Amino acid sequence: MREDDGSVPDRTPESTLGSKLSREHVAALALVVTVVASAALLPTLADARPAYEIPVDYQQSSADLSEPSGEAWDSVPAASVPLSSAGASVPAADETSVESVRVEVARTNERLYLRLSWADATTDTSTDEISGFADAVAVQLPANQSERPPIAMGSTSNRVNVWYWSGTGEHEALLAGGPGTTTEIDEPTLRANATHEDGRWTVVFSRSMASDRANVTDVSPNRDMDVALAVWNGSNMERSGRKATSEWYYLALGPDTGGPPYEAILWSVAGLAIVFTTLVTIEGIRRTRGE
Amino acid sequence: MSQSDDSTVDLAEGIDHQVAMVMDLNKCIGCQTCTIACKTNWTESGGREYMYWNNVETKPGSGYPRDWEEMGGGWDESGEERTPGDLPDREDYGRAWDFNHEAIMYEGSDEPLRPLENADWGPNWDEDEGAGEYPNSYYFYLPRICNHCTHPSCVEACPRSAIYKREEDGIVLVDQDRCRGYRYCVEGCPYKKVFYNAETKTSEKCIFCYPRIEGEGPEGEVRPPSCAEDCPPQLRHVGFLDDEDGPIHKLVNEYEVAVRLHPEYRTEPNVYYIPPYAPPQTSEGGETLDAERIPRDYLEELFGPKVNEALNTISRERDRVRRGEESELMEILSTVNNDDQYRLEVFDDA
Ligand code: SF4
Ligand code: SF4
Repeated sequence: MREDDGSVPDRTPESTLGSKLSREHVAALALVVTVVASAALLPTLADARPAYEIPVDYQQSSADLSEPSGEAWDSVPAASVPLSSAGASVPAADETSVESVRVEVARTNERLYLRLSWADATTDTSTDEISGFADAVAVQLPANQSERPPIAMGSTSNRVNVWYWSGTGEHEALLAGGPGTTTEIDEPTLRANATHEDGRWTVVFSRSMASDRANVTDVSPNRDMDVALAVWNGSNMERSGRKATSEWYYLALGPDTGGPPYEAILWSVAGLAIVFTTLVTIEGIRRTRGE
Repeated sequence: MSQSDDSTVDLAEGIDHQVAMVMDLNKCIGCQTCTIACKTNWTESGGREYMYWNNVETKPGSGYPRDWEEMGGGWDESGEERTPGDLPDREDYGRAWDFNHEAIMYEGSDEPLRPLENADWGPNWDEDEGAGEYPNSYYFYLPRICNHCTHPSCVEACPRSAIYKREEDGIVLVDQDRCRGYRYCVEGCPYKKVFYNAETKTSEKCIFCYPRIEGEGPEGEVRPPSCAEDCPPQLRHVGFLDDEDGPIHKLVNEYEVAVRLHPEYRTEPNVYYIPPYAPPQTSEGGETLDAERIPRDYLEELFGPKVNEALNTISRERDRVRRGEESELMEILSTVNNDDQYRLEVFDDA
């Protein structure tokens, strides 16, 4: 429908937009176009960000970021990450119970903080009985970031780091190159703190951003980084490959972190709308004047 | 040894030789010396208190852990898919009891020595109960260790390959550095012969006393596993399944009188049993009847259909001896020569 295609002026008067409309009409139409465009964009804007992005909030000081209920977290945007069974080859691998995890990420110049929170009514903190398994959560990162590793624990040629926290209170850093290969690595800067309140676990992992050690993820403040998550519900006998996992997401550490990418998109859209409206208005006026 | 090169014995893939044990159930007196020999060697402390890598249970009976035969594990009929298995509860094994030693030894109490509480189940709790009605009740003892199976579902169950069958002799071991305590092997073993250690957070099991068979035992000599060596009636043969000159090969493959426990689990155990042939039934009046005391059905349930031929062969050979004839089989079964019973160095110069 050429008539609606106002941005391509046609020299045939009958078919041009402006020729049949008064100046008022043009202004009204421009307004409608802007409003419709904004309305169409609104839901995306409310949902905030591109798929698979987890925003990273920069903070001057670490304050109480290492505390699961630290106030410094109040200003950090949250992402909700859906989880599903990892489909590993262990018995009952599909019987997992946690469906999503809330993720908030902050960083200072020195450290990266991840706050993970998920619903689990039972606190399974002991592995002292033969059928006792502990709740757990893990963060998976590429060991080096040249290429995205396979989601299931990486591969021999493209390994992953895993930060693992267990309800028993222990946490550890692991290196893996495929399912069943996790091996503990020495990572003295990794910390984890957890609370269980109102039927939810909240666990904060933190680690030094930089690493110059082989096979230990170096977190660059200037570059997005892949991340995947896993949660285990101990009382459902979840352990190893029987776990609820996410797809690969990424931490938005890259150049846009000063203002999240969706703001940039919003401004581009708004800018285009303004240019469009102006062009339509000018053309309308020109035509109305019979130029 | 030359014989292994053209061996007709089926071994697991990648295994040079396979340790094996034959236990003659007709000789077991249920003394638990084997159990204690094993325990003092390997499972006295450190989270192993509840474990009996060697246990002796009364059959018919619930066994150790309680009702282990109903807990699944092993392989399905195709032999390729594992059958899901359960984790036993601590109560099924029996908790280590606390006794009133303190009161009796130090506080002058004159109450009898007894467990303080929860003494309502334990290994061989149903000792000698058995089944059947007087005067034809019956029971026998069944000593059990890990069978170091040829097709071990415990090994297949581990997502980390932490439990493995070692190449030189097929002994199944848990690599304590690789194990992360997931307990899939505990679920997966139909004989419930892998145990979870809640202190070390790893799984542990019978190691066939490998340091002893490697000559690292007492006096630096090659010795059979402690459960075998310490058994008062010396009812176990220990050696290699593929030692075709040895008694195990004869009992298992030639005479076929040594049979597997629950062959339908399809893990292909390398511990074999000479089935029990109890005295015949008697009448109320005490006369001997021409009827077997332990129902064949029951023995078949435990040892599969091959138990029938095994029992028939044994009674045939016993009759030969009664008639004054020679029987190689009965000689093997009644030997008192340890050198015949324990053949662990046959492949040493291979
Ligand atoms: S008896 Fe159980 S633990 Fe031992 S090898 Fe067989 S399956 Fe594994
Ligand atoms: S030591 Fe020998 S006789 Fe005693 S219970 Fe063990 S296997 Fe039976």
